[in-house]
Amino acid sequence: MDNNIIISLKDIVVDFDGETILNGLSLDIHDKEFVTLLGPSGCGKTTTLRIIGGFQTPKSGSVFFDGKDIANLPPYKREVNTVFQKYALFSHLNVFENIAFGLRLKKLPDQEIKSRVLEMLEIVGLKNFARRDINTLSGGQQQRVAIARALVNQPKVLLLDEPLGALDLKLRKEMQIELKRIQQALEITFIYVTHDQEEALTMSDTVVVMKGGIIQQIGTPQDIYNEPVNAFVADFIGESNILDGIMVRDFLVEINGTQFTCVDKGFKPNELVNVVIRPEDIEVVPAIQGQLSGVVKSVVFKGVHYEITVEQGGFDWIIHSTQKQNVGELIGMNIGPEEIHIMKRMRD
Amino acid sequence: MKTKYISAPYLLWMAIFIFAPLCLVVYFAFTDKRGNFTFENMSALSTYAPVFLRSIILAGVATVVCLVMAYPVSYFMSRMKANRQKVMMMVIMLPMWMNFLLRTYAWMSLLERNGLINKFFGMLGIGPFDMINTNGAVILGMVYNYLPFMILPLYSTMVKIDHSLVEAAQDLGGNLYHVLTKVLLPLSLPGITTGITMVFVPSCSTFVISRMLGGDSAFMIGDLIDLQFLGNSYNPHLGSAMSLVLMVLVLLCMSVTNGFADDDSEGLL
Repeated sequence: MDNNIIISLKDIVVDFDGETILNGLSLDIHDKEFVTLLGPSGCGKTTTLRIIGGFQTPKSGSVFFDGKDIANLPPYKREVNTVFQKYALFSHLNVFENIAFGLRLKKLPDQEIKSRVLEMLEIVGLKNFARRDINTLSGGQQQRVAIARALVNQPKVLLLDEPLGALDLKLRKEMQIELKRIQQALEITFIYVTHDQEEALTMSDTVVVMKGGIIQQIGTPQDIYNEPVNAFVADFIGESNILDGIMVRDFLVEINGTQFTCVDKGFKPNELVNVVIRPEDIEVVPAIQGQLSGVVKSVVFKGVHYEITVEQGGFDWIIHSTQKQNVGELIGMNIGPEEIHIMKRMRD
Repeated sequence: MKTKYISAPYLLWMAIFIFAPLCLVVYFAFTDKRGNFTFENMSALSTYAPVFLRSIILAGVATVVCLVMAYPVSYFMSRMKANRQKVMMMVIMLPMWMNFLLRTYAWMSLLERNGLINKFFGMLGIGPFDMINTNGAVILGMVYNYLPFMILPLYSTMVKIDHSLVEAAQDLGGNLYHVLTKVLLPLSLPGITTGITMVFVPSCSTFVISRMLGGDSAFMIGDLIDLQFLGNSYNPHLGSAMSLVLMVLVLLCMSVTNGFADDDSEGLL
């Protein structure tokens, strides 16, 4: 990734009625990057987006765009455009005029407006929809118009606020790929807000995981999934077994009374830690061969794999395995050192 | 089929109390005292043209004042928290619960030469001013009485305009003026037309406000019609002709506003 930082947030604090929404948030966003702000509702991700868009003024902190402080610049003077959660299309205008809205305000010549809007319609796959009434479009089509309306202004940064939230699963998957394609084709920075971890992993170059107005982790989708920094991130990104453990010494952790070799170090001897193990990283073996053994409590078919719940040491382990097991059976579980992720114990 | 019968009571009502009287008005307007067909009533109206004109101008000014005052109020009201909106609604409706005559009488005593306002000016060492019996007093009375009828339809259309539309317009490079002219006005157009109708029509045909606050200087068409039926110059035939022409004039004015509305929305399409 190049080091060309386009947006830089520094120590942003936002309060609503005494409730802290963003608590000293700092974030750098690189040019041409697809960044996703990911977190549960109320984590401050939409507020962060609205600060970049200019719809929200932070109580303190600064916002830099291309090195210039834009904290006090109104939205219409910023070189960013937004795709709103509920599209916010102008129902009194047709598809063409919705997309042309920003260009008309810039008083561009009609001929240029026409060619740019038509080009945009082609990019979002709505070639013959120019004269259509907004209200006759489906959700997915409205979404495309909203994206076209923002992109036609050739912003340096496009902000997207849960744009696929209202679409059904199949359409959402299509649009995810579509959005990624558009972003790569036009080489624009996308800042994308979602609470859907799968969406974040599919599209992003960088994922920013947030909780309670604080950034938990910034990294590539692979980093976030494979090396979550704490149990919250691990739990939020994909399914996990999160257990209490004791870090006996470097490279040795005790889980439910059994010691495992791992690849982590740097903890105090016998420090209490959280251990995260992904359900697909647990190998099912005959009971005698397993490092741990437990009784199968339930087996649910999930399509690609079976989701198996195994009780061991008072904990319900979740295992994803392509092999079917029988309820009530005693099975063994093996976990490789690489698959054990140790993180500091969370206070809450 | 069944729904058709449910509307029967109203259709009957409409036939007896709206359609039949309208026919009577037309009949009276085109007949003389002996019941013969004549255009005399209509041609006699030309002498009253200044009164018609004044009525339309006064009502028009009052409507514009109402619109200019009501628009921002309605907008900010629609952006308030739900419970504040209810309080505002109460405050706006409150004067309407007071008797119409009483409200207008109150303005009389305020605007009089020895009224409260002039007394106040007197204490400051200015005035007294002639406020009552002017066109201005009549317009004031109209605005005061009919302002809620402008605010309510405007508010109810604006409350349906999603705030993200305003943000979207700003996001696309629109300043406050653009947001108003390109988004808010077109989207609130139905409310504007309804509001204009609900203020202009009663203002145009009022006779209470003009009589109490306007005196002789602001004699309006409503006063004139009143005179033909209940006053000294009893002549229901002329009165009917006046009513008919007033109705046509109002319809014309309304179609102009509605025409603007249609033109605007089509122009933008």
